Amino acid sequence: MELLPPFHVATPATIAAAVAARQRQATGRFIAGGTDLMVNLRHGLGDPAALIDLRGIPELQHVTAGPDGLVIGAAVTLAELAEHPAVTSRYPAIAAAATAVGAPAHRAAGTVGGNLCLDTRCIFYNRSAWWREANGFCLKYKGDTCHVAPTGKRCHAAFSGDLAPALLVHAAEIDIAGPDGVRRQPLAALYAEDGAAHVRLAAGEFLVRVVVPADPWPAAYAKARARGAIDFPLAGVAVALRRRGSDVDGLRVALTGTNARPFLLEGTDGLLGTPVSPAWLDRLGRLVQKQVSPMRTTLLAAQYRRRVAAALAQRLAATLGGADAVGHAA
Amino acid sequence: MTVMRNAREVVGQPTPLIDGIEKVTGQAKYTADLPSSGALVGRILRSPFSHARILAIDTSAARALPGVRAVVTGDDCAFTYGVLPIAMNEYPLAREVVRYRGEPLAAVAAVDEATAAEAMRLIRLEVEELPAYYTAEAARAPDAVLLHANKPGNIERAVHHRFGDVEAGFAAADLVREQVYHCAEIAHGQMELNGALVEYDTARDQLTIWSTTQVPYYVHLMLSRCLAMDMSRIRVVKPFVGGGFGARVETLNFEIITALLARAAGGKVRLLLSREETFLTHRGRPDTEVRLKLGMTRAGRLTACACEVVQRGGAYAGYGIVTILYAGSLLHGLYDIPAIAYDGWRVYANLPPCGAMRGHGSVDVRFAFEALLDSMAEEAGLDPFTVRRQNLLSAPTETQNGLRVESYGLGECLDWAERASGWATRHGRLGPGRGLGMACSHYVSGAAKPIHWTGEPHAVVHLRLDFDGGITLLTGAADIGQGSSTVMAQAAAEVLGIRLDRVRVVAADSMLTPKDNGSYSSRVTFMVGNATIDAARALRAQLLAAAAEPLGAPIEAIECEHETFRRIGDDGPGLPFAEVARAALAREGGAITAKGSFTCPVEFQGGKHKGGAVGSTMGFSYAAQVVEAAVDIDTGMVTVEQVWVAQDCGFAINPLAVEGQIQGAVWMGMGQAIGEETRYERGLALHGSLLDYRVPTIVESPPIALHIVESIDPNGPFGAKEASEGALAGFLPALVNAIADAIGLRLDTLPVTPDRLLEALAVRRREQRLARELAREPAHEQQGAA
Repeated sequence: MELLPPFHVATPATIAAAVAARQRQATGRFIAGGTDLMVNLRHGLGDPAALIDLRGIPELQHVTAGPDGLVIGAAVTLAELAEHPAVTSRYPAIAAAATAVGAPAHRAAGTVGGNLCLDTRCIFYNRSAWWREANGFCLKYKGDTCHVAPTGKRCHAAFSGDLAPALLVHAAEIDIAGPDGVRRQPLAALYAEDGAAHVRLAAGEFLVRVVVPADPWPAAYAKARARGAIDFPLAGVAVALRRRGSDVDGLRVALTGTNARPFLLEGTDGLLGTPVSPAWLDRLGRLVQKQVSPMRTTLLAAQYRRRVAAALAQRLAATLGGADAVGHAA
Repeated sequence: MTVMRNAREVVGQPTPLIDGIEKVTGQAKYTADLPSSGALVGRILRSPFSHARILAIDTSAARALPGVRAVVTGDDCAFTYGVLPIAMNEYPLAREVVRYRGEPLAAVAAVDEATAAEAMRLIRLEVEELPAYYTAEAARAPDAVLLHANKPGNIERAVHHRFGDVEAGFAAADLVREQVYHCAEIAHGQMELNGALVEYDTARDQLTIWSTTQVPYYVHLMLSRCLAMDMSRIRVVKPFVGGGFGARVETLNFEIITALLARAAGGKVRLLLSREETFLTHRGRPDTEVRLKLGMTRAGRLTACACEVVQRGGAYAGYGIVTILYAGSLLHGLYDIPAIAYDGWRVYANLPPCGAMRGHGSVDVRFAFEALLDSMAEEAGLDPFTVRRQNLLSAPTETQNGLRVESYGLGECLDWAERASGWATRHGRLGPGRGLGMACSHYVSGAAKPIHWTGEPHAVVHLRLDFDGGITLLTGAADIGQGSSTVMAQAAAEVLGIRLDRVRVVAADSMLTPKDNGSYSSRVTFMVGNATIDAARALRAQLLAAAAEPLGAPIEAIECEHETFRRIGDDGPGLPFAEVARAALAREGGAITAKGSFTCPVEFQGGKHKGGAVGSTMGFSYAAQVVEAAVDIDTGMVTVEQVWVAQDCGFAINPLAVEGQIQGAVWMGMGQAIGEETRYERGLALHGSLLDYRVPTIVESPPIALHIVESIDPNGPFGAKEASEGALAGFLPALVNAIADAIGLRLDTLPVTPDRLLEALAVRRREQRLARELAREPAHEQQGAA
């Protein structure tokens, strides 16, 4: 195990104090569960002068379910979220996504905010300092070449949080605190397709809460991974599907693990107004395969992640759509 | 050397490990837990280059850094090390040439971790890079630069063995099939990371090492060699060890490096490797290609076997010669095969060195064999169990390559696995996506010919009795979690007729315990077990002699049961153990040390051909298993639903530990079959964590129903044989055979990761489409297309 770099730890009790603490420390980092950040710091990925622990701020601590929907504090742990009665009863996709993260110990410590702001991952990035130096570093950190796509100019590290797609299909919004107060925006707007800068937060800004609208569409989340625990998603898919009679009346599909950001599938409107059928699932599968762009950022083949993303989307949609074409092959 | 007793009191009883309490309460002290106050922090600087000539290593700035107490490089040790006396070609710190990324180049000892890390940054390397090879094929290319000047073609060892008339065998076959199989390199994934603590006493020139080893004696030998120290000045202590599986069956570079640092610093140095560094130290199972050809009659009788194996061994010899020999020799000993041809090549490449791993050498070849046999059985319309039964050996016998088989319980293993799994009514009938597969495997109970031939016995045990009446069992055997200390205590207690807790075991401290070659090749229960029985009999003779006079009976008429000495057949109160012990001490002139030993007779030490000693053993374990698997053809995920495994371990001295060992072997085979593999990016290990090196989690762990078959080996201690390796290899083919049963797809590459499975399905769909298209075309065009 490698040595952690020296850093101060700040424990603000208010949102304002946390913002101020971050502004005082140009290289500071926010931390909550630390299940991802601490591993990266031990690998020499980052050298923050201070870690600002957000877990002492009361507003970030609670899950509340009311007529306006579900409000999830950013410091709520994934285990708390996965077991919350309102989540398990009305938002099973969110509960499933939270449960799919890591192993029980990760979920006991890891938080909603941490999973949504998770650093992107790549087989050339999540390595020891010795390894990365021997490999000439990489575009994402300290280097100038992306080893995944050496001729390109951007980082292809993959976003690997499970929670984001399950929230995206429910049209979740987020509150972001910063020097200018708290602002609300769609969760989808948090992300950019750039593995080295995939979270759009200015210095001093952090996630306060997630707001999920009431009366959610039926939704589900599925995750492809080599092992049934611990592993990050090779591809993760959330589908929300509303029916009118046998026709699909509303459809949102969101993906993680395949791109530098989690994203909502585009063009799903073309799938509305008809029942789920084998032909419909074929079209959905093609839509997914076209929009995901897995690169060689994982040890399992990129082409597999493309195939399985489509297969999982089809499987979830078939189940939610009431079709019996579940065994459809990608 | 079976001890005949009518009723077993201690052996054969499920017995919790005698050191289990320390482990489950967290009190057990592993190397990293040992008191290290005052110890310097050791760190290793590793090569960022795959293959390079070392021009200079400038350590002057590092040496000048305050807090740095020692810096060592290849200049500080001009002696090679290695486990095989004929193939010691590795330096603890590279000299002249560095041959893999991660190879140690220099090491520092400093007052704290930060200083050690800073010192490493100050070391300057100057090298001239050389071409590097990451596959056996590239390393064998005609123009490839040699990794070792004395090894043309980068071949560490080529083996060509012919037994029986192979050509005639294939000519006599009704069905001959040939197939190429590929198994990825894997690592042991032992829980405890590598590490050593070394204390050097400058005033006395004496050195003590505590290390994470399976072979304290080999560590002793190599420290003496590499530090040019008389062996009497070295003490090797094995604390609790958290698993090995072969990772620690040879002296490893970090052990020698820590010793070099401690001597250079004149004090105590602790060097703990990270998980990545533990993976870089490697010694796992090599990337292996197997080309296998089998001949079979209509009835399922095997007529001939031809097997070619290429192993990518990494940058240094290690155990490599033994591994490539095992791969061929253990084609024998499981079934009755009239003719076997074997050609093996062990190839150097610019990667961390491979070594011994559970099932050493036999596993990947057994995968190929049992997979091909299954597909041939299907083609011939025979049940896989029938085919195995057609080819059983009959003990006692000697195989064509000179291996002795004295006990053979494979038939019983087959019977149980077939019945327990419901094979007859379930194989081929579980519906789409679900299937059953079966396979057999075997393994040695210790290598009958030791690597370092000294003329000494294979194992020596001391039993000490003193005034307190306790029996202290002194053994060099390294308990690394497998439970050998418990087995020895049971064996001694059984022979002496005393309670198990009267025996206390002191294991693997060279200052106290007799030499033992170590925990590898499943030798300990068989060899050290027999030595323990021998020692216990010697001590028993002294106790009986002391009891003879007060009991007024000749020695032959006395027995000790439940710690009471009586005339045989006498129901009286008898003499309590403590009283007889006191009498024996008086009679023998004080504290008694009884010695026992065991030597494998020369007729068990293998055939006369070159390499014939490898595979030789006094007893083979046998296993048969059935795997039930479910396959999701949309995601490529394979789920192992259940395993039924039966193993002939001769006799289960500790059935509780045997169960654990068999389950562990099956589970480890499952890891190799479904997920584990090392991966390199131009020689840089991509698998350096347990996130990237995918050992199964509890989610993947299936129920394992098991059955112990006791064939009572005539030479094993109480009839016991090997119990921890034999069931491993069978899992791999049983799984791919189950997948074939489930979806009709026969896989030839391990591990069966979901991406490989989906790709194989895509290839099959393309081939089927092509076949349909060809079938639609006129016949003459079809020929043209072919």
